[in-house]
Amino acid sequence: MPEIDLSLQVNGRKVTRRADPGQRLLDFLRDELNLTGTKEGCGAGECGTCSVFVDGKLVKSCLMPAAKADGAVIETVEGLAKPGTLEVIQRAFHKTGASQCGYCIPGMVMAATSVLREAPEASLDEIKERMGGNICRCTGYSKIIEAVELARDVVSGKATPAALEEDGPGESYIGTNVRRLDAPSKVTGRLKYAGDMVMPDMLHMAVLRSPHAHAEILSIDTSEAEAMEGVACVITSEDVPGTDGFGVFVHDQPIMARGKVRHVGEAVAAVAAETETLARLAARKIKVEYRELPGLFSPEDALKDGAPVIHDYAPDNLVKHIPIRKGDVDKGFAEADLIIEDEFSTQQVEHAYLEPEAGLAYVDADDVVTVISPSQNITHHRHMLSEIIAKPINKVRFIMSPVGGGFGGKEDMIYQGMLALAAMKTFRPVRLVFTREESIIASAKRHPSKVRYRMGLKSDGRITAIKFEMLSDGGAYGMSSEGVMRKAAILSCGPYEVDNIQVDTRAVYTNNTPSGAFRTFGGMQAQFATESMVDIAAERLGLDPFEIRRRNMMRAGSLTHTQQRLDSASIDRVLEAAERASNWEAGAVGMRGPERGDLNGPGTRAPCTLGARFERPAGGKEKVA
Amino acid sequence: MLTCQRYETPRTLAEALALWESAPDGARLIAGATDVLPWARDGRAGDVDLPMMIDLSRVSELSGYERHGGRVRLGANVVFQDFLEDPSLAAWLPVMPYCSVWFADDQIRQQATLAGNLVNASPAADGTPPVIALDGEIELCRISNGAVMCHTMPVAEFVTGPGRTRLAPNELVSAVTLDVAEGYGASFQKVGQRRSLVISVACVAALVKTDPTGTRFEDVRIALGGVGPVPQRLGDVEERLKGEVIDAGLIADVAAVTADRVASRSRVEYRRRVVPGFVRAALEEAVDRARSDRPAAANKEAVNA
Ligand SMILES: Cc1cc2nc3c(=O)[nH]c(=O)nc-3n(C[C@H](O)[C@H](O)[C@H](O)COP(=O)(O)OP(=O)(O)OC[C@H]3O[C@@H](n4cnc5c(N)ncnc54)[C@H](O)[C@@H]3O)c2cc1C
Ligand code: FES
Ligand code: FES
Repeated sequence: MPEIDLSLQVNGRKVTRRADPGQRLLDFLRDELNLTGTKEGCGAGECGTCSVFVDGKLVKSCLMPAAKADGAVIETVEGLAKPGTLEVIQRAFHKTGASQCGYCIPGMVMAATSVLREAPEASLDEIKERMGGNICRCTGYSKIIEAVELARDVVSGKATPAALEEDGPGESYIGTNVRRLDAPSKVTGRLKYAGDMVMPDMLHMAVLRSPHAHAEILSIDTSEAEAMEGVACVITSEDVPGTDGFGVFVHDQPIMARGKVRHVGEAVAAVAAETETLARLAARKIKVEYRELPGLFSPEDALKDGAPVIHDYAPDNLVKHIPIRKGDVDKGFAEADLIIEDEFSTQQVEHAYLEPEAGLAYVDADDVVTVISPSQNITHHRHMLSEIIAKPINKVRFIMSPVGGGFGGKEDMIYQGMLALAAMKTFRPVRLVFTREESIIASAKRHPSKVRYRMGLKSDGRITAIKFEMLSDGGAYGMSSEGVMRKAAILSCGPYEVDNIQVDTRAVYTNNTPSGAFRTFGGMQAQFATESMVDIAAERLGLDPFEIRRRNMMRAGSLTHTQQRLDSASIDRVLEAAERASNWEAGAVGMRGPERGDLNGPGTRAPCTLGARFERPAGGKEKVA
Repeated sequence: MLTCQRYETPRTLAEALALWESAPDGARLIAGATDVLPWARDGRAGDVDLPMMIDLSRVSELSGYERHGGRVRLGANVVFQDFLEDPSLAAWLPVMPYCSVWFADDQIRQQATLAGNLVNASPAADGTPPVIALDGEIELCRISNGAVMCHTMPVAEFVTGPGRTRLAPNELVSAVTLDVAEGYGASFQKVGQRRSLVISVACVAALVKTDPTGTRFEDVRIALGGVGPVPQRLGDVEERLKGEVIDAGLIADVAAVTADRVASRSRVEYRRRVVPGFVRAALEEAVDRARSDRPAAANKEAVNA
């Protein structure tokens, strides 16, 4: 690789380095200067985790070649405050609890700093507008924006610096705003996520992934890749010494494709090399011969007779069926005054945590295979890996690095095994950091589900019977499908006491991206159907939507769908609070006029728009249009 | 992932053109690099190794702007954020601040050039509709017999299709020249999936000049983006309005027929529904601003669309 000389000023210090001519400023800061507070959430300008100041202007360092910044003055999150101290904006983030997983936070702090520098009097809308280039998947933004407003007021003198202090706990911690212990490490960018960690002599991994949804692997030729200078090893499923297979419930997924690929993006082989560029180049030199197989892309097709079989152990393509029976549905429907039927479908959803999957593995001096990763399930991973690499459990160690957002998506051991194998093969530390594209193509998704619903009700709104049938696309591997189907079944009919129910939830294999755990774990898909049905019923029966829910809600002493006797229930209080907070106008939907007083009232959010900066009163720095 | 063998940062136009003329096959010019870097990723061009990148951002002749009578000449390195931060540009080109505020985000706008946006020629580009509404011309330069030679052509002719332009091999863009539209009211309507960092599904740029009493259209400029391979100036709409009394009914009538301008291959029905609403909203908003000489809250309709 040719190199060029770069000389910049970074956080007040002169820095001179030789760099790759194509290197991005982001890599230069992270790899050459170890300033890992600047993160890579997407590499494509979309997320703002990489925001830094270049000559006083906030930019996305993933979109800037380092050479473009030659001679420039750079400020990163590490340079905002003196070591061991926090700037006003960082203290405000700490105070309001603005950091959760923290992965977006350094970028958010930079964006907030830019707002206060460019528009110290920015209104709430202008703050939102100016921070639009930074994404957070955890906080819902409220606390971040609150922090920026607080910092603005402290800087402008409208609030005293005391406003940044922690509220005292008073009598009790309950009900008081307690600051997060880990916030200072996040607002300063000091916290190291797996992708920020380095070890001496570390190798970089790149993964070759399947372009096919369903295909037999006829051969894999790694010779050319292996022969490349700087390549330490290439691994395939052949390198697995023990019993291959992992999964949260059923261990149906090999570390890398074995014999066939079952979804686009499935790992087929991996390279560990001296640099990431080299590893990616070598991965492209691996030759794989495939024979394409007919694929399954809808769960309905998976259940048809003669459908292609995706896993030999499951000739019917069924991952899991969870049935629940309570009472007598035929009797319940016979008693009903109204029977409604409908179908509800929900789509596949990506978690999009801002930290793409990353891990670092090494074999320590005692031959313990150690994997550091933001795994949401390290103990289970450790047990599975010990079988896969045929080592006793005391020779396998998992260290959980800070999770830069998981939401269920980091429960599956989709890359830790590859890292372990490469570390065992080379006896060198190996690191893998997914690109955003890889994260999207290879990680589990929320189950796309279809629910066929039949509900019987008395004319007073009491539900007499429910028939609930869910069919979910489990994708190519089992992952958390079993648990998700169980939870969907348990929660299926909502917080309502129904005497007669028949619930069936099924997840099936297809050649789509595997589905797995995702916040609510099946509850969302089920509740979408149930709550929609209750609303439809309220409309048909001329009842207030809150009222119909009250008539059916579970109470202390109620028997749940799975026949558990409840000691207490809080749905009544939840309904009351929701009714109050929404300024709900009592009455049946159909009986109300077109102008609803409870829409667009106080407390409802106006639609998003842009242009708040044009509204700033004259004298503000930037009223230009 | 983008790698490159050689990175050059010429300081003068002559230097830049000399490098460009002798550049190896596959070399790329970059300005803000906000299109080039994301292009070299999986799902698009994948990993790309360029023999050479020529970074134009420090070429002195390409920076800044000048006004010559009724035209303003923007150097190729003018970035979208300039339209928000430079009061002269905002006053002369009143549609550009509204376009810019919807363009990417504050950070990308610090890098993204108008010239790069035109050369990239995405059908969804937000920069092209305002430029063609302002009779934009593009200035192209190359080295010929050792001398810098430049010529201009209308941007409407320069952009020939998705990602396609009339830029010749050894040429680069030195400037974009636009009509000064001081005193016009302007509007930019855009709809996409979210507010920031979003590619237009459809966008409309409009400028209106009223007579001194504020009751008649004196001049109207309007162009559509995102709804076909190239941006479209709505000359027929402009002609029907010029000289007429400003009237909501008339605006609604001329807007109603613009659905037929949708020439996209995808989401046609959606776009056909959005476009007439946008044309109408853009004209109404531009009229309001022309009359009040004061910007109203930008683009309320866009997000409701
Ligand atoms: C997250 C994100 C959001 C975006 N949002 C928007 C948006 O809302 N609206 C929109 O329209 N675009 C958007 N873009 C696209 C992009 O930012 C714009 O097209 C931008 O204007 C390109 O300008 P640049 O200076 O960065 O171009 P570059 O990437 O440097 O170059 C783009 C192309 O133009 C060529 N080029 C550049 N300068 C010259 C020159 N002087 N002479 C000849 N050729 C030249 C390059 O070779 C290249 O082919 C977005 C991009 C990202 C990453
Ligand atoms: S915007 Fe740079 S990494 Fe996402
Ligand atoms: S705290 Fe913002 S992404 Fe997690």
